[in-house]
Amino acid sequence: MSVLDRKLLRDIRALRGQVVTIALLIGAGVAVLVMSVSSFLSLRGAQQAFYAESHFAEAYAEVERAPRTLLARIAEIPGVALAEGRVTGEARVDWPGAEVPVAGRVLSLPVGGEQPALNRLRLLAGRLPEPTRHDEAVIHAAFAEARGVRPGDEIAVILNGRRERFRITGIAHSPEFVFTSRPGNPLPDDRGFVVLWANEDAVARAFDMQGAFDQVVLTLAPGASEPAVIAELDRLLLPWGGRGAYGRRDQPSHRFLEDELAEQRTLAVTVPLVFFGIAAFLLNVVLGRMVEAQREQVAALKALGYPSFPIALHYAKFVAMICLLGSALGVAAGAWMGAGMLGNYRPFFRFPELPYLLPAWLPLLAAAASFAVALLGVLAALRRILRLPAAEGLRPARPAAFGGRVLGGVGRRLGARAKIPLRGLLGRPLRTLLTVLGIALAVPMVVLGLFWWDAMDSMVELQFDRIERGDAFVALTDPRPSRAVREMARLPGVLAAEGQRIVPVRLRAAQRSRLLALTGLPEGAALRVPRDVDLRPVPIPRHGIALSRRLAERLGVREGDTVQVEVLEGARRVHDLPVAALVEDIIGFTALMEIGALNRLMREDDLVSHVALRVDPLAAEALWQRLAERPRVAATNVKAVWLRVFDEVIAGLVLTSAVTLTGFGVIIAVGVVYNSARVALQERGWEMASLRVLGFTRREVSRILLAELALAVLVAVPLGLVLAQWFVGLILGARDNESFDVPAVISTATFATAALVVLGAALASALVVRRRIDRLDLIAALKARD
Amino acid sequence: MLRRMPNTTATDAAPQAGGSGNTDAPAVFVARGLCKSYGSGDATVHALRDLDLDILQGEFVVLLGPSGSGKSTLLNILGGLDAPTSGRAAWRDHELTGADEAALTAYRRDHVGFVFQFYNLIPSLTARENVELVAEIARDPMRPEEALALVGLSHRLDHFPGQLSGGEQQRVAVARAIVKRPDALLCDEPTGALDVETGKLVLSAIARANRDVGATTVVITHNAAIAGMADRVLRMGGGRIVAIEPNARRLAPEELVW
Ligand SMILES: Nc1ncnc2c1ncn2[C@@H]1O[C@H](COP(=O)(O)OP(=O)(O)OP(=O)(O)O)[C@@H](O)[C@H]1O
Ligand SMILES: [Mg+2]
Repeated sequence: MSVLDRKLLRDIRALRGQVVTIALLIGAGVAVLVMSVSSFLSLRGAQQAFYAESHFAEAYAEVERAPRTLLARIAEIPGVALAEGRVTGEARVDWPGAEVPVAGRVLSLPVGGEQPALNRLRLLAGRLPEPTRHDEAVIHAAFAEARGVRPGDEIAVILNGRRERFRITGIAHSPEFVFTSRPGNPLPDDRGFVVLWANEDAVARAFDMQGAFDQVVLTLAPGASEPAVIAELDRLLLPWGGRGAYGRRDQPSHRFLEDELAEQRTLAVTVPLVFFGIAAFLLNVVLGRMVEAQREQVAALKALGYPSFPIALHYAKFVAMICLLGSALGVAAGAWMGAGMLGNYRPFFRFPELPYLLPAWLPLLAAAASFAVALLGVLAALRRILRLPAAEGLRPARPAAFGGRVLGGVGRRLGARAKIPLRGLLGRPLRTLLTVLGIALAVPMVVLGLFWWDAMDSMVELQFDRIERGDAFVALTDPRPSRAVREMARLPGVLAAEGQRIVPVRLRAAQRSRLLALTGLPEGAALRVPRDVDLRPVPIPRHGIALSRRLAERLGVREGDTVQVEVLEGARRVHDLPVAALVEDIIGFTALMEIGALNRLMREDDLVSHVALRVDPLAAEALWQRLAERPRVAATNVKAVWLRVFDEVIAGLVLTSAVTLTGFGVIIAVGVVYNSARVALQERGWEMASLRVLGFTRREVSRILLAELALAVLVAVPLGLVLAQWFVGLILGARDNESFDVPAVISTATFATAALVVLGAALASALVVRRRIDRLDLIAALKARD
Repeated sequence: MLRRMPNTTATDAAPQAGGSGNTDAPAVFVARGLCKSYGSGDATVHALRDLDLDILQGEFVVLLGPSGSGKSTLLNILGGLDAPTSGRAAWRDHELTGADEAALTAYRRDHVGFVFQFYNLIPSLTARENVELVAEIARDPMRPEEALALVGLSHRLDHFPGQLSGGEQQRVAVARAIVKRPDALLCDEPTGALDVETGKLVLSAIARANRDVGATTVVITHNAAIAGMADRVLRMGGGRIVAIEPNARRLAPEELVW
């Protein structure tokens, strides 16, 4: 072993505190990268595998009732590879002991007991129904798991107002229901939503659809144009009550999954980038200072005639050791956290398999990236030193005119003791700036972890306290005259009831179009209050349409512009309507009209399809049961249940990221403060020992040394808070998620916590350094500078 | 606080090394049976071996001796920077051996001025501020400017150490040592890094402090010529005092022949 290598090992031992904190810093950067990229790739991998295996359809069309004979014509549309018709319907499950009625869907399986050609089921247990049985069904795994359903169990289902019993023959996953939720809910509610598959005969009979279909799913031939196929499909289905064909992009499960994947991709890029950037910067600062602290050693080696290369190599090895340690820690932590993240997705996304994938290139990339930035930091510092003439290097770094004038007149009035830290800070402004910035960057890390809670709180507050003011939302099986609302208002426990009319529409503006639900609200509605950007209630426009601000942005329209509204129900007319107002929403996209205007638009009477209720909490349970028994009620969504699900599902996700990012914030704060203090001690230990010799107490000496850092921390924390706000905006700005809008809200408590965490980390590192100051060797300081 | 020594008074405790031309003065530093060793077993280094010593109030003592003879070790113990392995050392009625860190710090702070070979100035403070630093924590300091005047540096008050020559830096160190009007002035090779003329300037600053402030002064040096300035010269060898040479007349630094 060469002498330099021995020095390397001894340096690593002597500087182990610094080595470990820097390695942790690298580890944190690597961990974030590995975690977010691997969980993204795993999710993407599971999606692709499942879609391929199950022949996930590429286009969909819903129709009121089309004869099966039409399917042959659909299959002949140029560009269509495979088309399959099926019958679907709303199903309500009469689940004993369910707090609220269970909503669901039933889908037909092809005649002959075969798997469908498209959207095949992946059976986890059991089998498909026997071809001749009308009372057998396969159930989706999400509900089966949540409610403990097993093959052989019987469940009671209300189809089209009639009660039927099905024996469960199998439990399955489906590519169409990777993400399932009650219609209109952006979060999964496995206990409250069920999907069933039964033989076509059974479903068709229940919905009076013998010889007909109400949904067609298809795949495209290679090179086919999706818009062309969709247009042709719409044309063919129009006479039969087509409700608009759409591509896979608009399939609800797929859309939600894609949104989440897009979000993951954004986070997989932005967060590690921010984090890695911070870590790289700190590495640069910390390692640079460490090497600078060794300038006399380097100069001595050079004076002894050592060529520069072995010296540089020596430090490269030093960095490599730290990076290796850091990357190993980071990859292990990142893989662990990535697997954990994936675990958090399991309740959201139902894949038959969701294996955790960690491609070999990822850790290598992360390690190489960290080594590159670390080496850069060290070499830059090293070059500065190697460039120095040997004699200069041998003298301690000491700017000649130590910023004496910087303190000016104020300086005169300060004691000599106060001047030491002030000159330390002002005498080397660049380094001070870097240290301050380094500490400041710890704050956003903690904020990025914690602010999700604030964002979720404000989301829930906006959507469920201010906009949706009812306690429950009832979907009727089909539009009813408005007296249905008055009837419902008379049910015991109902304090107020308001009817709504919701119809599927396609909105068009220039080249852009969207399928969504247009909601008709009564004037002065109290259970659904649209609000503007400042959260003031917006009156429901008598003429024209109110759009959500986010939707308007996507359609590229502004208040006063015109949008084309194609109603996909009933007489299905096309109208041009002015955008009369913009409203805020958080979940999904809102489009609103006055209910009378909407019904007139449709040339229909005074109809309602949904009812919002305000409910007496004491009578709620009984009311849900009573509603479940009413034949015209398709589903009841209860706000309290929704909020509980929200808490359960989101809390896990948010907690994970909060804990990890807070941990990283601590690592950063400790890394910067501890290393700055250690380097300061390395550089100034001699001074401090001299002060001790002169009769200064340990306390006084520590104060002098740590005051410099304390000042830096005091400047850094407020700066960090500003940076935090900026980073949150940056990351949310990069999000592109239609299902949720996350408001950039950061509470005072979050800011305060982040500031305290960083201050605490700084204090702890200062205490560690303080202990070293207490053990300074006074006599050694008298012999010579080391 | 330092424990008071029960029955040591200066006069009855000067059997070996006491008695210069100034015998009426009480002994302020008293050492008895001082031993200091490093390491253990075969590798043990004995820096001090059973050393006895008395230094009288206001005395100017020069410590001579070959390298490694234990001079610095002795001075550090007297200055409250180091503790002997066995034996006792006391300053007036303060027991130095066995005193805790806080008591020793207070002792250094209140009574001792140090001057070292490597100056040990704070680089980010000017000459005046370096002196002020110590004045800030002293009980009855002189004005920093006064101390710097005593060492002949009135014209360099606002220069940083980096802007001063070695000799000037060392004179700042002397000013810093005397600004508190110390009872004892301990100097370890104060001219070690300086040329003759500069060395003389520093020595005269020390001699003046000894005279004007009345500080009991101990100076370690390798330069036998400096011995002429002393009341007494103590020669060390192998961790002991091997000879004591009183000077009939103290020379002024200017009279020294290097
Ligand atoms: N920390 C230590 N560990 C081991 N041995 C030590 C230590 N400090 C001093 N010594 C030894 O103690 C002996 C006396 O040292 P001291 O520094 O007192 O010598 P000195 O007389 O001041 O020498 P010089 O004139 O070279 O400064 C020397 O042999 C030295 O090697
Ligand atoms: Mg010595």
